[in-house]
Amino acid sequence: MASDVVLVIGGGPAGLEAARGAADLGAKVVLVEERDHLGGTPVFERYAALTHGFQDAEEVMNRLAQEVTTHPNVQVKLSTRVVGCTGSKGDFHVTLTKVSDGASETVHAGAIIVATGFQHFDPGRETQVYGYYEYPDVITLADAEAMLKARKFVRPSTGLPPERVCFIQCVGSRDRQIGNEYCSKVCCGIASKQAIEIRQQVPNCKVYIFYIDMRMYGYWENEIYWPAQEQYKVNYIKGIATEIIQKGDKLLVRGEDTTLGRPMEVLMDMVILSVGMEPSKGTREVARILGLKQNKYGFIEVPHEGVDPVATSVPGIFVAGAAAGPKDLDDSMSMAGAAAMKAVAAIRRAIAVASGG
Amino acid sequence: MALHAPPKLERYADIPYEEKERLFQEVKADPRFPDYLYGCYECGICVAACPSARFYDFSPRKIAQTLAREDVELFFYQLNEDVWNCSQCFSCNRCPRGNSPGGLITIMREVAVRNGLRSAKEALEGYSRVIYKIMATGTQVSPDMIQADAFPDWGPVAKETADNLELWRKALPPETMHTTSTAWEVSEQTLTELYLIWHMTGVMDMIKEVDEGLHMILLDVMEELLEERGYALAE
Repeated sequence: MASDVVLVIGGGPAGLEAARGAADLGAKVVLVEERDHLGGTPVFERYAALTHGFQDAEEVMNRLAQEVTTHPNVQVKLSTRVVGCTGSKGDFHVTLTKVSDGASETVHAGAIIVATGFQHFDPGRETQVYGYYEYPDVITLADAEAMLKARKFVRPSTGLPPERVCFIQCVGSRDRQIGNEYCSKVCCGIASKQAIEIRQQVPNCKVYIFYIDMRMYGYWENEIYWPAQEQYKVNYIKGIATEIIQKGDKLLVRGEDTTLGRPMEVLMDMVILSVGMEPSKGTREVARILGLKQNKYGFIEVPHEGVDPVATSVPGIFVAGAAAGPKDLDDSMSMAGAAAMKAVAAIRRAIAVASGG
Repeated sequence: MALHAPPKLERYADIPYEEKERLFQEVKADPRFPDYLYGCYECGICVAACPSARFYDFSPRKIAQTLAREDVELFFYQLNEDVWNCSQCFSCNRCPRGNSPGGLITIMREVAVRNGLRSAKEALEGYSRVIYKIMATGTQVSPDMIQADAFPDWGPVAKETADNLELWRKALPPETMHTTSTAWEVSEQTLTELYLIWHMTGVMDMIKEVDEGLHMILLDVMEELLEERGYALAE
């Protein structure tokens, strides 16, 4: 029997937008989130300003979550995991369990939207040369977000504001050695946005960004990159550091200033590793449970990405956001809208077919 | 602060950092500076367009980059060396960010001259004859500059021309007024205005910084005409 329920897995930006979209189209929506709150990575990792537009991330996410939780067509299940799935398009039976007590239930859904997102690359895993777990003043973009959100940007080792900070781009991205050959898309913009925030919060701090290419597509160019460089005097240096060494109470960063054609050894108070995206644990698990093809990096495969960016290898199951590979917020939200439309169309078609129409 | 001091910067190691910083700030304080430097992509289009870059170890990109990065040590090196390799053709204004590396060099040269840097004096030494000519007469070259010792590669032609200059000039169209000490006839009114411009815009002060002898000669020449025309030079 066909179901008129759309099951959305994941309560981050893409999941929330997909749920809102499908509910607005009149479908019944069940939204499942493993964590005990909505808002996804932007809220969980305590992001400061959104990279496109500079609005407060938590405020934007909370507003979206509020619309979903108060929507009459949406049922939200927090602290809940997907553990099993049978059936096919129009007629899925998905088993859920409560994280707290393991109590399980089954949801009958006509279509599924997977919005299980990404996780930040762990810079201690492969690139130990940067000493992420060794030096307290080596942090990641996500660590920096939380400090900027709290408006307390200080050296973890001393608790004092830094005088010199550098970003190292492409940590865990575009690297055959690590296996993540792809560009994570957002780190250039986020690093530049954070550089602006650092210059705003700690005006005496010099900020450097060591990069391979700056990928500031579309309006990120003139809205983020140019102001960072021209107005906030952030120094962009083409060249990636090879290693970081503790020197006294400073960090010695070694690399090449390629465009000035000279080797470079600079002392920094803090180093921010611009870590890229990897599929979240939830994305890998849900893909396995739902029988979705994953690409070689573990992201959910989208067989016809250019023309059908939300269809997975299984009919009736759609994907939105960074579960399908590195995405910025704009792309995640657009995908979520498309996935909602496709999912609602799929359940209506299945119901029509089942009733002989 | 310099990211890393390459060997060539050691040439100016004995100049105090504060002095380099002072000159850097003088360049940045120029009212044209914000319109000449936004940010640098380091894309190299200025170098690709630059005729000097094909023949000298010179890069307009590095000028823009160094100023954008506020690298005072490298700036000071460029202030003494690189800026004199630019031909000021402004092909570099093709910059997609709207920078003008050539304009930055204009400012840097003026600062170098105003501050009487030894490198500026050396770079301009060979031009004193041309500077004298243009500032004193209002024309850059004149027929009487053709002398056998100045143009050995011309062979006997140079001497023959110099010896019979009056005659050669008479053979030219009358628009030149058949002058020999200027390229064409310059009226006293034009000269008076030029002399006043050289004084009032600070060009005379710049000349004084790089070549005192030339400055004295020019003053003598100008004083006479200006006094005749009722302008007293305050010294």
